[in-house]
Amino acid sequence: MKQVVVHPERCVGCMQCMIACATAHSKTQTLFTAVQEDPLPKPRVHVGAGLYGEGFPNRCRHCDPAPCMLACLPGAISRDPDTRTVVIDPDTCINCASCAMACPFGVIRYHEDASAPAGKTVAVKCDNCLDRQRRGQVPACVEACKSGALTFESTGDAQRRKTCEVAKTVSRDAGFEQLAPGFSMLNTVKRTQIEMAHR
Amino acid sequence: MEYVIIGNGVAGIHAAEAIRRQDPAGPITLVGDETFLPYCRPMISMVLEGAVPMERLPIRGADYYEKLGITPVLGRRVTSIDVDARRVHLPGHPAGIPFDRLLIASGADPRPIKADGLDLEGIFYMRTEAQVRAMLETLPSVKNALVLGGGLVGFKAAYGLVRRGVRVTQLIRSDYPLSMQVDRTAGEMILAELVRKGLDVRVGVAATGFFGRGRVEGARLSDGSELGCDMVVIGKGVLPALSFVPRDRIDIDLGILVDAHMETCVPGIYAAGDAAEFFDIARKTRWVNAIWPEAVIQGRTAGMNMAGRPVALQGSLSRNVIRIFDMDIMTGGWVDPPDSEGFQVVRRIDRRSGAYRKLVLDGDRLVGAVMVNHIEQGGLLIALIQRQAPLRMSGEKLISTGFNYRQLLN
Repeated sequence: MKQVVVHPERCVGCMQCMIACATAHSKTQTLFTAVQEDPLPKPRVHVGAGLYGEGFPNRCRHCDPAPCMLACLPGAISRDPDTRTVVIDPDTCINCASCAMACPFGVIRYHEDASAPAGKTVAVKCDNCLDRQRRGQVPACVEACKSGALTFESTGDAQRRKTCEVAKTVSRDAGFEQLAPGFSMLNTVKRTQIEMAHR
Repeated sequence: MEYVIIGNGVAGIHAAEAIRRQDPAGPITLVGDETFLPYCRPMISMVLEGAVPMERLPIRGADYYEKLGITPVLGRRVTSIDVDARRVHLPGHPAGIPFDRLLIASGADPRPIKADGLDLEGIFYMRTEAQVRAMLETLPSVKNALVLGGGLVGFKAAYGLVRRGVRVTQLIRSDYPLSMQVDRTAGEMILAELVRKGLDVRVGVAATGFFGRGRVEGARLSDGSELGCDMVVIGKGVLPALSFVPRDRIDIDLGILVDAHMETCVPGIYAAGDAAEFFDIARKTRWVNAIWPEAVIQGRTAGMNMAGRPVALQGSLSRNVIRIFDMDIMTGGWVDPPDSEGFQVVRRIDRRSGAYRKLVLDGDRLVGAVMVNHIEQGGLLIALIQRQAPLRMSGEKLISTGFNYRQLLN
């Protein structure tokens, strides 16, 4: 089963995944018209800046067991049995924010949404683009990501690839090999700039 | 293995479900005082407020007990536990119900008050769906309500009644509401919001008696004055419901003392939820944290251990999230430690946007957090308190509005 895998060392913080996510969860599904919708579509992936300006696409991990599911008062949070995706039913949600208190990653937001009854504020988070997946598309954030920070693959494949990458760096003759050379240089530059500015 | 669970609240049902996952066949008897389907207790105040209809309260279906193979014994309270014979006694079961593993998840009862005229109609505690149902039946004829207590229950009752258009007077002991949950600054912000929306709050006054002909018409206050009202809600906190527990055999402080496996000092007897007193992660001492999410996890943990799967919890943590009118409040851990404890306190207040944050740090660990508005990422802070993870950033960075998950990876 394929999942969205995050490779934080490759995120440049461009936030294109956020735009793609908001568009994918809009009524019209097109950026040009989505920006004119009411309520304005909002992203479910949140790129935050690290202490030195590094990016990270923070999205729902679909934990198992999921703390939000255990904390939900009206029982609005459940797991899609086929994809193991944790989903929130906007009709059942009472906007009590119990899930905000339970989520250790801070990925749930509260606002009106195209998927919810009109005028109702509900808890909103990543749904792994289940609608897109049913149409044979990959999740919108993955499609938008140009730097390889978000991939859609089986976790087994992702782990195997990562294991090989790490193994290369520890073999005796390899010398020091960067996992993501361009990106670590970019982050070093950002960090240096911030440290110099503080001096 | 025969299991008996006392209490059909959320701790009890999560324990039953955890037992069933491990042990598909062992007989489970669940004794419950309330006859309603397992329901979401925190939502009763939302029913009072009118935000949620009554029929949304149940969290399990009508065939719940049957589907899980549980024998429900409802509408009765356990009267005693025979620790040596391993039986619980209750009316209607002269021989008692035998158990190999027992869970005491009897929850808590409203703290009673001493006053005259408590038998008048229109005076309510607010703990069960039945009590809220009765309040709603009286509501159409209520114009002026009196709420006693500024804790969570009193506060939610007052808020619900204000939202229903009732004129509410609330008597509280401290200067601001929710003094057990929030600090003074947040408490005063909440108070200002409530007063702005029409709540009449009186500080430092108590009710000494109630009068009326059959139904309550007014209250006498400790300052000698009288106050007209046609409804009274008593919300002076809760006490663990433990009258049936043999204190000479099972160690009790305020609640039943449990270890990390939710087991009491008697092997095979467990406790969970509002009735249990467990190690508090923030306060570093044992504490009764009578809140829904603790009851869920403690019940599950107790159930797994009862069915033979050893699972330990690190500790419990007080925490709450409350939305009132347009204000959101989230709190966790030890938010108001005495100055003598030597904790570092970081605050940030933005009066214009109504946002407030306070963090309490013990060296490089977070032990408490209060947030007013912008609470979406509050779970990050709560998780930091729960894990007691050493922070690699300053309190100033942690409290800034730019704080996000990425910074924890630095």
